[in-house]
Amino acid sequence: MRKLAVDVVVIGGGSTGAGVVRDVAMRGYSAVLVDRADLGQGTTGRFHGLMHSGGRYVVSDPLSATECAQENAILSRIQSSAIEMTGGYFVTCPGDDPAFADKFLTGAAATGVPAREIPVAEALRNEPRLNPGILRAIEVGDGSVDGWQLVWGAANSAKVHGAQVLTYHSVTRIDREGNRVSAVHCTDLKSGTDVVIECNFVLNCAGPWAGQIAHMAGADPVDVIPGRGIMIAMNHRLVNRVVNRCIYPADGDILVPVHTVSIIGTTDVKVDDPDNLAIERDEVQQMLDAGEVLIPGFRNARALHAWAGARPLIKDKRVSAADTRHMSRGMAVIDHTERDGLDGMLTIGGGKLTTYRLMAEHIVDAMCDKLGEKRECRTAQENIPGPEPTKNYVVTHRLEEREHDRLDEQIICECELMSRRMFTEALAVQPKGTLDDLRRQLRLGMGPCQGGFCTTRATGIALESDHIDIERANGLLRLFLKNRWIGLWPILYGDQVRQTALDNWIFQGTLDIEHLPQQMSEVAL
Amino acid sequence: MSRVVVIGVGLAGLTAANRLAAGGVDVTLLSKGIGGLQLGQGTIDVLGYTPDRVTNPVLTLAAIASSRPEHPYAVIGAAGVHTGIEYLKGLLGAKLLVGDVETNYQLPTAVGAIRPTCLASPSMVAGHVRDGAKFAIVGLRRLKDFHPKLVAENLARSALPDGAQPTRSKRSLFGDPIAEAFAKQTPGHLEVRHLSVDVPARENEIDSSGLTYARAFDDPAFRARFAETLRPLLADGETVGLPAVLGLNDLTAWSDVAEKLGHPVFEIPLPPPSVPGMRLNAALTAKAKAAGVRMVPGSWTVGFRAGNGGILGLSVAAAGAQREFTADTFLLATGGFESGALNLDSHGLVTETVFGLPLAGLDAEPLIHGDYWGAEQPLFRVGVRVGRDMRVLDGAGAVVHDNLYAAGGIIGGSSRWAEKSGDGIALGSAVLAADSILKELS
Amino acid sequence: MTTEGVEFAGHELARASLDACVKCTICETACPVSAVTPLFSGPKFVGPQAERFRNGESVDHSLDYCSSCGACTLACPQGVQIAELNSQARAVMKADHMPLRDQLITRTTLMGMMMTPVAPIANAALRNLPIRTIVEKVIGIHRDAPMPPAQTQTLQGWLKKRKVPMKAPTRGPVVFFHGCAGGYFEVETSRKSIEVLEYLGYEVIVPKQGCCGLAQQSNGLFDQASAAVLKLCDELRGAGKDLTIISSSGSCTGMLKHEAHEIMGVSDDKLKDVGTRIRDMMEFLLDLHDAGELPTDFARIDMTVPYHAPCQLKSQGMGQPAVEVLKLIPGLTVVESGAACCGIAGTYGLKKEKYEVAQAVGKPLFDMVKRTNPDLALCDTETCRWQIEQSSGVKTEHPIWMVHRAYGLS
Repeated sequence: MRKLAVDVVVIGGGSTGAGVVRDVAMRGYSAVLVDRADLGQGTTGRFHGLMHSGGRYVVSDPLSATECAQENAILSRIQSSAIEMTGGYFVTCPGDDPAFADKFLTGAAATGVPAREIPVAEALRNEPRLNPGILRAIEVGDGSVDGWQLVWGAANSAKVHGAQVLTYHSVTRIDREGNRVSAVHCTDLKSGTDVVIECNFVLNCAGPWAGQIAHMAGADPVDVIPGRGIMIAMNHRLVNRVVNRCIYPADGDILVPVHTVSIIGTTDVKVDDPDNLAIERDEVQQMLDAGEVLIPGFRNARALHAWAGARPLIKDKRVSAADTRHMSRGMAVIDHTERDGLDGMLTIGGGKLTTYRLMAEHIVDAMCDKLGEKRECRTAQENIPGPEPTKNYVVTHRLEEREHDRLDEQIICECELMSRRMFTEALAVQPKGTLDDLRRQLRLGMGPCQGGFCTTRATGIALESDHIDIERANGLLRLFLKNRWIGLWPILYGDQVRQTALDNWIFQGTLDIEHLPQQMSEVAL
Repeated sequence: MSRVVVIGVGLAGLTAANRLAAGGVDVTLLSKGIGGLQLGQGTIDVLGYTPDRVTNPVLTLAAIASSRPEHPYAVIGAAGVHTGIEYLKGLLGAKLLVGDVETNYQLPTAVGAIRPTCLASPSMVAGHVRDGAKFAIVGLRRLKDFHPKLVAENLARSALPDGAQPTRSKRSLFGDPIAEAFAKQTPGHLEVRHLSVDVPARENEIDSSGLTYARAFDDPAFRARFAETLRPLLADGETVGLPAVLGLNDLTAWSDVAEKLGHPVFEIPLPPPSVPGMRLNAALTAKAKAAGVRMVPGSWTVGFRAGNGGILGLSVAAAGAQREFTADTFLLATGGFESGALNLDSHGLVTETVFGLPLAGLDAEPLIHGDYWGAEQPLFRVGVRVGRDMRVLDGAGAVVHDNLYAAGGIIGGSSRWAEKSGDGIALGSAVLAADSILKELS
Repeated sequence: MTTEGVEFAGHELARASLDACVKCTICETACPVSAVTPLFSGPKFVGPQAERFRNGESVDHSLDYCSSCGACTLACPQGVQIAELNSQARAVMKADHMPLRDQLITRTTLMGMMMTPVAPIANAALRNLPIRTIVEKVIGIHRDAPMPPAQTQTLQGWLKKRKVPMKAPTRGPVVFFHGCAGGYFEVETSRKSIEVLEYLGYEVIVPKQGCCGLAQQSNGLFDQASAAVLKLCDELRGAGKDLTIISSSGSCTGMLKHEAHEIMGVSDDKLKDVGTRIRDMMEFLLDLHDAGELPTDFARIDMTVPYHAPCQLKSQGMGQPAVEVLKLIPGLTVVESGAACCGIAGTYGLKKEKYEVAQAVGKPLFDMVKRTNPDLALCDTETCRWQIEQSSGVKTEHPIWMVHRAYGLS
């Protein structure tokens, strides 16, 4: 049993939680963030990587549009290395209503979202794979963002301001003293140790799991209805700008260039359990059809990997409008004092990654109100520590780095140009991490071969680091391949089948990996 | 002279082309690249798992042939495999391959699993696991595809393949150095340790591939340097396991290393580029050329012409104009999904990409499932069906084209990599197809 | 160098082909440059791997060590146009700072025109070490690099002066494309090719013709190269519609057949027309033989001779037709070099910073040639012949010379 005492416990290590703990820490509170898994392993790590310009909402949700535009400008400044300023297009595809573009331009002007219609020929020249039949094109300031880098950046900033970040700590119980939340009990899943964190306040940022957390605190059930969306990463950048369809928001209406891939998304299907998100075959087909509208020949391009994320939508009929602060559509803060007679806890739901900093600002403002304190939010002013704090990410970065250190450093993941040093440094920080934990920070195994060549290298290096023993090394290898497969088999067609066949040839044929010594138990985390 | 077009330059295509050319026909070998042998482990598998570990491949495959009618071995048969293995051994000689169809070697892999295989390079067989053996697994620091600790610690905790090991009396016929040790084998354990040395293959390079090292090991001066570095680190009685990079062109490099070290050595195959695979590929290609086979790499087939019950010509997209190759007989040895011989499109349709042939194994539902460590994915068992003469058959068992034969991975019904059966299927079907063609044409 | 060519280089054909890469490393085993120097990171790295990180910008300058020999593309069983990707990325990289040297050495026609009238002086100068040292320092062409031997007579000059063949053609007309080298430096090869064709009964039309632009293309000067190749197409098409075009300049043939389209994206119908009609000299003879139309009354030549198939011939996906044709000559034993490349790769081996690499690439070939026959070697392309001859000291001829001899024409 380990004991901690802090002002604030933040539950949930997605973008919201990371943004909140940073904000809380910067306002001078002592704070701990806990997550049952790694940072960004839930919704934040399972979206398409769009840094909204606001364009998507100029017609349907003007307030969101304005917020996005403002936050986009702030984040690309304070978290530059996580964000690529790709620019974006809204294009009217054949069959789409061309008049929507007029509404779009009007909405953009009204909401302060920079937008300009450009000649179709210019759009096609800049993005030659685009459907040559597009009718109109509007240029906006969309970008793309690495969700994991964003979250780790915020968490590291919080640490600089004194916060603690406890990943793989699962909340087991929330204590109250009278009407007030008094402590959060966790289990350190890696070591099995119980941790009790005494606190004055709990900020529930658990996203699709927020209902479960609220329930632990004894609040009346918060109704979270996870909305599942699937995304497919294509092998390379079919476009170098974000391409949106210029229509009311719909399924499969966006293609985002993120790092070396381009990601098509997404769907929206209500599901019961955020821990059980299937990638349905018909949804994959739906995405491919949608891709074909934007990029003719899309079905023949190579799909690398698919995943599903759950939107944390809160539909709570039990609270009146007065109880829920509508800061913008899709973002809600539940005040448990008025709703449940429970002090010292706020639950946040909804929202989007682009406005994660703003959401944090709002919820921490609300907490300060409750505590009767006035402390200024400074998160928009201070840069988040990163590799090159003033330079935005560009896709050529790693190629340029390897050009300089190629003769001094081995390249372990060749597809994503991850060097041995990058891997060993990340491993030293997270010696008990899984290969997936490292993958999220390093893009290990996220390229075309999907781990075919790098998995055994990474396993061997991890074993040689002496952080782990042989039993765990084999377990990590097995877990990594198993997890890669989750996102592979639903999109297994065309070129990726050839890759999988070669990978099987290597793993089964050459390495006989199925006949490693029997594991005592499988590694899960 | 009769003309045969062979499509595909893997083990099946090269073996068939050699046998056909030796049989006196004019052979053109069309290929997209330079051969897939260098992607594999560079040994010759016949049957490794059923899923139980196999010790006598030819005996076990006879059982498969009778119990699994959809398996390629059901038509190839033990005799076909035997012919194929003997043919290949005769073609390549004991400098490249040793072993026989009645016994599997049990050899360490680059992750430290113990892998059954039928024929192996003489440079590998000292790694055949046996109770009480003392292995020193040696890594090269600049070679990222071989991690000696992973190999050693897995080997050290492996129970050795046990059970009724056959006596290896026959093996002494081939002058096998480990025959005696094997005969005494009982289930047991290995004593394994690991170490690494840093001997640069080239100046100013830290990320050297297995191929770069193999080229370095072709040089006796490098071998001497390597041996000088390693020898003091070895203990008495140790057999040295090294990544399979001991020479590309010089087939005596490994024995020279062993001599210089004063210890037996064995090579452990790596993921591609596989040096042992390259050695086999180079040897079979050279043999084919010497036998008069006309090789046309860069041949992307784009269409064919059929008539009179057979294939008349095959069109390839060479640079410039398309080119049609006509022949009396065509042999399809294109492989499976890994080489693009089969394709699964985004709508779920599986096709054979050269002739659009009917495929067996598509009725499995689902073709792909989500359990990575679960049952074999049925998709990778899809392929064409052949008769005993290796002519391609349709679902009803009728010949599709009178003059179209198939060999190797394009034949469906097996999980080649999991079973370790791909090479036996390739060799057996290649020699049977070649013999049927020669008979038909004579 | 701007616009169209480079814009093309960012996408289209080759870029789409990177989807086919399964990282299998077969291309790496075929690359003759990465085999001899770690300075080149190899075809998989600079091709399909690095391309995913390029966004209309080539930040990896080491890709310039690629010699564009095309061995990788030919070896790739999955259809990735690796060498083409590299050529395009290089063009993008060099777009704003093209070295003067790379512009000069690509002007092959100009060089020929200037050198022919002063051939003895030119040849002397090219053999003069002080002059070559100055050239190396100022322009960057290595002092020991092979230079074309200037001739006293151009092919057109010979055509004008020669006696018109007595025998009336029995097989109809063909067009002969000689290329710059075949017009100015390798006049003898062109002459022998024409004489063999005439011996076979063809009427040989030799239109006035310019450069195919290959050297410019391989140095990233896509605009000039595209213009040159299209002008050449006009000239060749002007000689007759639907006629077979035959060339003994293997690399220029490759430019017309596929490289102009696949590397620079030239998609003009006239290129397609010429590209589908053109045949390499030995390919043409083998086609005749396959059709049973090649007279094989060859005289016996008792000789063992090394043959090297040039990269740019191999990449045309037609095998090694010279080997098949030469097999028909009684007594002649042709030994394939088995070497990937001679190192010159057009103009690569001329450059002072690449010369050592090119020599190392070619070394196994030079050794093999000397071992096999110290007096004669065969090879289908000009620059490769100059390289082999210069580096091994063995006289190197086009295979058509052997056919010419075996038909009793010389």
